[in-house]
Amino acid sequence: MKVEGDHLFKAPREVVFEMFNDPDALGAAVPGMQKMVKIDESHYEAVLGIRVGPVSANFSGTLALTDVVPPESVTLIVEGKGGAGFVKGVGYVKFEDLGDQTTLLKYTGEANIGGTLASVGQRMIDSVAKSMFKTVFEKLDKILEERWQKS
Amino acid sequence: MTTGKYFGKSVLRLEDKNMLTGNVKYMDDIEIPGQLHAAFLRSDYAHARILKIDVSEALKRPGVVAIYTAEDFGDFWKPGPLLVPPPTAIDGSQFNARTLVPIAKDKIRYSGEVLAVVIAESRYIAEDAFDDIIIDVDPLPAVVDLEKAWEDTSVLVHDDLPSNMAALVKQEVGSYEEAKKKADVVVSRRMLIEHVAGAAMENRGFIASWDDQNQVMTIWANTQSPLTIRGSVARALNLAESQVHVITPFIGGGFGPKVMTSLSDDVLLPWISLKLKRPIKWMEDRRENFLATTSERDQVHHCEIVLKKDGTILGFKDVFYHNTGAYDSYGMTVPLNTQTHTISNYRVPNFYSEIRMVFTNQMVVTPVRGAGRSEGVFAMERMLDFAAKELGISPVEIRLKNLLKAEELPLNTGVIGQDFVVNILDSGDYLGNYQKCLAEIDYDKFRKEIQPKARAEGKRMGIGMVAFTEGTAVGPYEGCKITVSTSGKVTMATGYSTQGQAHYTVFAQIIADQLNVKIEDVRVVTGDTNLFAWGAGTFASRGAALVGAAAYLAAQKVRAKIFSTASKKLEVPEEEIELCEGSVCVKGQPETSIPLGMLASLANPMRGVVEPGVEPGLEATAYYGPPHGSTGSGAMGVIVSIDEETNKPTIERMVMVDDCGTVINPLVVEGQLQGGISMGIGNTLYERLVYDENGQLLTASFMDYLMPLATDMPEKLEIIHNHAESSLKVNPLGIKGVGEAGAIPPGPAIVQAIEDAFGVAGFEILETNLSPSQIYEYLKKAAK
Repeated sequence: MKVEGDHLFKAPREVVFEMFNDPDALGAAVPGMQKMVKIDESHYEAVLGIRVGPVSANFSGTLALTDVVPPESVTLIVEGKGGAGFVKGVGYVKFEDLGDQTTLLKYTGEANIGGTLASVGQRMIDSVAKSMFKTVFEKLDKILEERWQKS
Repeated sequence: MTTGKYFGKSVLRLEDKNMLTGNVKYMDDIEIPGQLHAAFLRSDYAHARILKIDVSEALKRPGVVAIYTAEDFGDFWKPGPLLVPPPTAIDGSQFNARTLVPIAKDKIRYSGEVLAVVIAESRYIAEDAFDDIIIDVDPLPAVVDLEKAWEDTSVLVHDDLPSNMAALVKQEVGSYEEAKKKADVVVSRRMLIEHVAGAAMENRGFIASWDDQNQVMTIWANTQSPLTIRGSVARALNLAESQVHVITPFIGGGFGPKVMTSLSDDVLLPWISLKLKRPIKWMEDRRENFLATTSERDQVHHCEIVLKKDGTILGFKDVFYHNTGAYDSYGMTVPLNTQTHTISNYRVPNFYSEIRMVFTNQMVVTPVRGAGRSEGVFAMERMLDFAAKELGISPVEIRLKNLLKAEELPLNTGVIGQDFVVNILDSGDYLGNYQKCLAEIDYDKFRKEIQPKARAEGKRMGIGMVAFTEGTAVGPYEGCKITVSTSGKVTMATGYSTQGQAHYTVFAQIIADQLNVKIEDVRVVTGDTNLFAWGAGTFASRGAALVGAAAYLAAQKVRAKIFSTASKKLEVPEEEIELCEGSVCVKGQPETSIPLGMLASLANPMRGVVEPGVEPGLEATAYYGPPHGSTGSGAMGVIVSIDEETNKPTIERMVMVDDCGTVINPLVVEGQLQGGISMGIGNTLYERLVYDENGQLLTASFMDYLMPLATDMPEKLEIIHNHAESSLKVNPLGIKGVGEAGAIPPGPAIVQAIEDAFGVAGFEILETNLSPSQIYEYLKKAAK
């Protein structure tokens, strides 16, 4: 499965970038996230509940950040597995400073999905992924608004 | 044998009343007191090395009785038997046997392969325990694409082989290259035949119950191969065959995949039952059925046909890739069927065919209704269409020119088939079938009136006209035992199991006529190994021909015994005795008679002496094995219309002409053909198993695997029995199989009609599975 998209954050690039390195912010933004713990500077452990059509299950896995170029870009490597299969994906995230206190986030990525998630949920995965991204960005917008206003 | 009181008549199926009113037991209706439930934890990965499987947490769950991984089976774990031997009858054939393992050890080879068996008080508990099992694997790239896998040795399904080659079999008749030198026209194409499921309504199931006191293993299984299971379980557990009793309940459809054995259930569950001394039950769910029960088709053909200017075929070449899946326990039945059926109804003097059977990280391939025949027929029929276009003649003309005539049979094609015997086209009138079909569908009228009128109105309508054969009734043998009981009722027992084919009716028709009893008084028992323990299994459309012949022969033996016993008791010569309904009587004196039940008692004396050589009872066993299979044949015509907006084809009319020799029951034959046609339509327009590049099956539910509905059947369907005189002489009753015929010709007939409906230059369909959007893709290609 391939993903691609962008989102406009109403905050300067440094602030947006910092938020992406904060497990509490990310954990709060991802729907179904039950646990997100920072292991070291670039690794997180997470437990996530996912529902795709008739398939629903908990996935546990790791999130690694590599090729971190603050505040411009980061590569995310996700590996998770659970009762309904496995996900292995890589995402490339770029933060573009638009100069007017806003930041355009652009992402592309590819995920390899297996097990029930693929064999039964495949038809719905694209739309579930899209709606998940939408929710994540909406929540991050809110978190950002609070942080940005506080500072 | 000619028509009798029952034989040849459309007798209503005797089994239907109980089946339709819910008074029969299917697999999941069977409950054994004290039974435990098994669930198989299956791999999410298509290809991976197993590093560790930790079940310790799962064992703590209340209700979990035991969990087994490959290691726990110790020496009992081993790759299963080769169920069909390699084709050594074909010179130079290469075959790498890598048989199915009952549970993955060290390496996972397809998504759905079993990793652990959980035994618990209920299926719910067993499946819940999956969540507590920790599986650590090292994923490997998956082998999915057939052509690529043949060349590329960088990823191997079986590490101990130098490549992914499962088999390489070449057969040549005449010399294709010589023929090509003389040809006026050479046409070549690459075509795909898509992967489809058997998709029986009832999934598979298995119960193993060890009786420690009597030392007997009782097995209930909805299998096409009860006797194979009896033999394999006995061998594996070091028991005598008589200590294993396999019973098949009523079965909700077979269609091929239920012939497969040496699967996780039939290997592991008897061992576990013996170990735990408890009955173990397993019912497959639909996702398991899609992932891990066998399926078929999936071939890539590289065909070339060479002809004279006038359309005469000089030669045909077909190099095809055949997907065998991760293991090849079922040998080469399917691709060998393809090889024989490619040239099975036309005059093809020079033929070269090469099977490249490939291991992939996919489910195992075994026959599904049609079983390789559909693929061979599709390849030849499509190539004739392309050749006709090239030559500027009609698809009908090219077929009329090359179809075999009645007087050319029997014909030895020189191609060795799935039964390892040279294919003999024994009888039939292939050209006659086709001409009959042309006349019935009124081909000329469609061309001259209907199609031009439709086109003038802006409607797209097309016609397809193809021919086919169906190799059936292959050996080795089947048999049965017929017993007249003291109640006068007759029981026939055979090892041939039933999945819905009307065996209870058609065998009773044969016996009732031979013994002159009421058909209701004949009870047929199929697939109970304690009642009849010999036979090969239900496959290759061979029940009516082989078991039917055995029933006829056994009934004649019983009949002879009735006459000899009655002659003594009535003290009249045998010539003066006849069978009255349910009794034996003196000709012309119906009042001097003995009921068959009483005669059965008299044939089993309790005191006195019997003459040497006389066996007790009115009972006889007979077997029948043909020297070679018998080939059914026919033709199909289809008229389709295409929806202008969506490209969805509708089958307006279908005419099928079929020669299956003698018909025991026209109603049953018609039902078989209708069912086959539905499957053929599904395979052509709807059904498709899709694997992604990682070996993940993306169509493991009926949400994504589209089955044909009753409303997808032709608006108008005509089935015509067209028996050539020669067809009636193939075996004692002149019967050819018909179970797969309906599934074979719809593919090439429908695609030919779709192409004809569009009538667009360059619009060519090169595969079997056509969704409206694929039709659109082909149209786009044609426009370029």
